[in-house]
Amino acid sequence: MLPRKKSSKKQADPAVRQRLLLPVSFLLLSFLLMILPLEGFVSSVKAVLAYVFIPQVRLAHGTAKYAEDVSQTVRELLETHRENRALKQEIEMTKLLASQAEAILDENGRLTEILQLKPAKRWTGVWAKVAYREPTQWNTVIIDKGSRDGIRERSAVISMEAGKEGLAGVVVEVTENTAKVLLVRDEDFSAAVYLERGQEEGLLVGNGLRPVRIKYIPLLTKVEKGDKVFTASTSSIFPAGILVGEVSGVREDESFQTALTVNVEPQVHSSSVKEVFVILGDGGDK
Amino acid sequence: MWNLIKLMFLFILATVVHWAFASVFSYWGLSVNMILAFAIAFCAVLKPGFGYPAAFICGLFLDFFGAKLFGNNAFTFTVAACVVYTLSDRFDFDAVPPQMVTVFVLTFLVGALNSLLFLWFASTDMWPGFWSLAGGSLVTAVFSPVVFGLVRLLMGGGTFSRQG
Repeated sequence: MLPRKKSSKKQADPAVRQRLLLPVSFLLLSFLLMILPLEGFVSSVKAVLAYVFIPQVRLAHGTAKYAEDVSQTVRELLETHRENRALKQEIEMTKLLASQAEAILDENGRLTEILQLKPAKRWTGVWAKVAYREPTQWNTVIIDKGSRDGIRERSAVISMEAGKEGLAGVVVEVTENTAKVLLVRDEDFSAAVYLERGQEEGLLVGNGLRPVRIKYIPLLTKVEKGDKVFTASTSSIFPAGILVGEVSGVREDESFQTALTVNVEPQVHSSSVKEVFVILGDGGDK
Repeated sequence: MWNLIKLMFLFILATVVHWAFASVFSYWGLSVNMILAFAIAFCAVLKPGFGYPAAFICGLFLDFFGAKLFGNNAFTFTVAACVVYTLSDRFDFDAVPPQMVTVFVLTFLVGALNSLLFLWFASTDMWPGFWSLAGGSLVTAVFSPVVFGLVRLLMGGGTFSRQG
């Protein structure tokens, strides 16, 4: 029995030794790498590896960026879904309001006929986008629709800001596919307007970078900050009732004045005009 | 030859995954070590003659991108390989729980051992913090079954494999 045991032990020893050889040699090698002064060699290899592994580093960072973008995209998708649902509800409400408005218009038409009044015309026109803005003429814009779309010179232009429509300007030049719009702030712009409170009329004029003004308001008119200003029916260009803006102050610096000059904060600001509605066929008809 | 190409491909993939995870999870301050998960998977699937060199090279690769100390990752990865080969008689690395537990514990131990080596050889405190290391180990462990699956898919059954 004893000699057999001895021989099995002798057989086991080389196997164990072989099993231990690899890990021990690698541990020894790594230990040597830690203690030996290899700064120069390591720096050289690092430089080479940095070049070799640039594509992998880029790929890894690209993957990480993609992963970050995925979460952002999912968030945006969820937000868009929520917005979509809200907008659908809003569209349903708008449809309801439109049908109510249609009924009111019919009623208005019948009453106008009975009372033999001149009927008000509904605005018709085209939507256009601001295609170009002259840096030196900030108060004029070029829109992407022109005479081909029915736009003519002196067409009134409105735009939306903060969910409300307001007077944006007037078309001053038309080509086949574009038109130039003079915005309310421009010094060459003018329009007949009235103040909502007392219905007094005046002449709205642009004033460049300074506040837009209404001239020729009767002297004793009661005007307060925040009063709304609309286009007047006496205007030869603009349909009546377009919101122009709000009174921001009354000028009191003019001596011997025979009329008030009122400052107006326009509803549509020159810098925010992106899309406009050009009123066609109804300019001047009230 | 084909097995060697597959092993090299896995190594390159490991480096990409490691850097990608490191970039993403460093945002939350976690020390994720995906290349160690690959090294452990290599040892679980491959014969010692291929597993030890693979783990050593993975560690050495990290050393080339480290600072102040060279060889520490090669050392700790070899220690991790020793642990895996010792455990392989008792653990069934085909099942997911042993894979995750092993990777979690070894990632933590390798991190701690690395800090000790830095302290010893470079007199530098490189301890990443308990929660950073534990969190990083947890993330590595969570993703380790995918790594094991991939390594087994490409290398299992070949001449390098323990089953081959």
